[in-house]
Amino acid sequence: MATTTTTSTPFPFPPTYNFPPFFTPQPNTTTRHSQLHKWSLLIQAWCRHHRQYRLNLIEAVDTPLFHNAALRKRLDLREARAVVDWMCKSEEEGGGGRRAEWIDADGQKSVAWVWWRRPEEWADVVSEWVEGTGQKGSVLTVYEIVQGEGSASQEFHGMDFELMLKSLQVLVKRGKAQVFGSEGQEGVKFF
Amino acid sequence: MFFKALDLTTALRPLLLPDETLLFVQDAVGLYEGKYKIPNYQNGHAYLTSHRVCYVAAEEPRKYSVGIDLKEIDRAEYQAGFFKSSPKVTIYPKPQKNNRANGSRSASASPAVPPSHLHSVKSLSTLSQSTKSPSPKPVNATWICPICSFSNPVPSNFDPATATAATHLPPCLACGINPPFTTVLKAAINAATSREPCQLPVPTAEPHTQSNGSSSLGPLERGGSVSCPRCTFVNHPSLVECEMCGAPLKPAGAAAAGNRADSPAPFFEQTRVTNTEVSESIKLSFRDGGVQTFHERLKNALIQRKWLLQNAPPVPPPSQATSSPSVSATTTLASPQPAPPRSQGVGIAGLEQRGFEARKNNEMVIGNAFEDLEALMASAKQIVALAETLARESGMASTEGSAETNAVLSESAAALGMVTTKDMLRSGSENLYLSELSRNLAEYLTDDRKGILYREGGIMSLIDLWAVFNRSRNGVELVSPSDFQRAAELWEKLKLPVRLRRFKSGLLVVQRYDWSDDKTLRQLQDWMEDLRQVPPEEPLAWDWAQFGRAVTAQEAAQRFKWSVGVAAEELEMAEDRGILCREEGIEGLRFWANHLGA
Repeated sequence: MATTTTTSTPFPFPPTYNFPPFFTPQPNTTTRHSQLHKWSLLIQAWCRHHRQYRLNLIEAVDTPLFHNAALRKRLDLREARAVVDWMCKSEEEGGGGRRAEWIDADGQKSVAWVWWRRPEEWADVVSEWVEGTGQKGSVLTVYEIVQGEGSASQEFHGMDFELMLKSLQVLVKRGKAQVFGSEGQEGVKFF
Repeated sequence: MFFKALDLTTALRPLLLPDETLLFVQDAVGLYEGKYKIPNYQNGHAYLTSHRVCYVAAEEPRKYSVGIDLKEIDRAEYQAGFFKSSPKVTIYPKPQKNNRANGSRSASASPAVPPSHLHSVKSLSTLSQSTKSPSPKPVNATWICPICSFSNPVPSNFDPATATAATHLPPCLACGINPPFTTVLKAAINAATSREPCQLPVPTAEPHTQSNGSSSLGPLERGGSVSCPRCTFVNHPSLVECEMCGAPLKPAGAAAAGNRADSPAPFFEQTRVTNTEVSESIKLSFRDGGVQTFHERLKNALIQRKWLLQNAPPVPPPSQATSSPSVSATTTLASPQPAPPRSQGVGIAGLEQRGFEARKNNEMVIGNAFEDLEALMASAKQIVALAETLARESGMASTEGSAETNAVLSESAAALGMVTTKDMLRSGSENLYLSELSRNLAEYLTDDRKGILYREGGIMSLIDLWAVFNRSRNGVELVSPSDFQRAAELWEKLKLPVRLRRFKSGLLVVQRYDWSDDKTLRQLQDWMEDLRQVPPEEPLAWDWAQFGRAVTAQEAAQRFKWSVGVAAEELEMAEDRGILCREEGIEGLRFWANHLGA
């Protein structure tokens, strides 16, 4: 399900990606914490680079993200799950500040949202765009927002449909928008 | 007899001479010079070795430790405890050369006034070396005339240190017979032995008395009257001498006892006694038991005279068949040795003399034979150990016989003399055994000749040490693992130069006291830094200039001469401190400088 839009420019890996211990879970808590943090940043950067919103771990473990072919090192599925688990936790819980969310949390935990922007942040971006383009009070379909010509220059162009709805729900809660219509054909009115 | 300075080992035990063996150790021992407690020498360990009696104070042992050579000791006497007075062993020095003529006789002193002070014998001067003036004489000593048994005063100009048989002695006051010189000398020495400790001001009431002493158990007062300290006759208080026996009486007021906080004896003047001459005797006060064993072993050591063996050639094999004393006796009888020039006696006198010589010879042979037997009994344990070692070695030589094993075994002979065994201490003194064992271990570890710790890179696991240590004991008096661990745990408490350290995994290691984790960390960091400088031989997938290279426990062990187990623990310790981080791969566990940390 993950969008596999590959861009022309290669992803610039951070230096730690070439540090072999990066792929071994560290027993020392402090070291482990900063190791997880570095992994979290890497995954977010990777997803942003590839315009990816959800990460299917089973597929991703074979991508360069988790597999360093030069070092012949990889992060196996279990470890990748541990990293995403950590990202899911808030910072108060000693986690990575809710930078991910399991889509199948009760199941086998193989697909997760990666919040390189959290829905709240997306909501800000969308409302800014609406304001900036003077579309307040007008009604747009979700499809128009995501795929329309008007948002072509925006970061959320081509965004995951579900994520866009999540972000819009945030705006609804803030009282800045109203979502109506049946499933698949939602329309949004911005205030 | 002198108090000699003592060399202490790193573990604060007396440094033993070659051939010297440790016989007994007892803690909570105090030292007396004559009757005087020596300050700062009141709580320590007494070490009895085959050559010396050593005292090592528990506090400031380097400052307050002295030894006395057994060869200067004439005899030792046991004195039982009484109320607050702890049991003691009194050690008498061999007489000085200038009164050697009488020494042997005074040594066998028979009526010796017991060292207790139940009878206060009046005395005399303080010691010449403590007062620096030889003037005061033992004026209050009395000698008993062997003819009429009258108590005569020892003349005031009689000095036991300088007097000889030629000194003029006044005759007995009652019968006019000149006394034997020894009687007077003995009396003077006895008086000096029980001389009065503290000097109280002489009351004006008795101006002519030179008595300057008072005993704590002095004359009893009975309604103003004073009982004579010698004959117990109750005298009128105004009398200065006993009506019956003429002994000087002390004023009643002088009976006031001195300070006796916990032990009745007063203190000696000097605070450091090293190189001080012992004038009459020293006492070891055993406040926590062990006196019987100490005395027994001291007596045995004095009989065995092991110090004579020092630098002596090995015992030559007996030339004569000495299977039994009687056989040797007959052989000597049959062929008198030509060595002693036979006196040219003739007639009956000559025969008698030859018979006498023969008897003397036999006596000596039998005496020697039994002495040998005793010596054999004493060293039975060593001989058994030796036999066992030889048996083992010959068995080993056929199987593997590695050079190192043999080296360890030969080393162990030296170590054998140094070890504390349980039977050196009285049973039940588990703590003392452990602390002695602990000191033993510390010595063993820090011994530069063996360099055990050094060879192991300054750190060694306790189990390895246990194995090596027990091996060096040649299979005798092995230390149990639990005792061993408890002894090792005492290091820190006893302030010894080694310490026991527990790694996270529970591994116990031994290392130098001044060795700390920080030192290890610095070493590791330096090493990592070095690795970053050296360009790799083959191209690496990572930036070696930034990350350096990984190391394994084996490499670390090799570099720092640690054992692999220790190296692994040290690396993990460094990881725990955030200096290193790990990489698990198909090559095994490797460690890197921590570039993951923020």
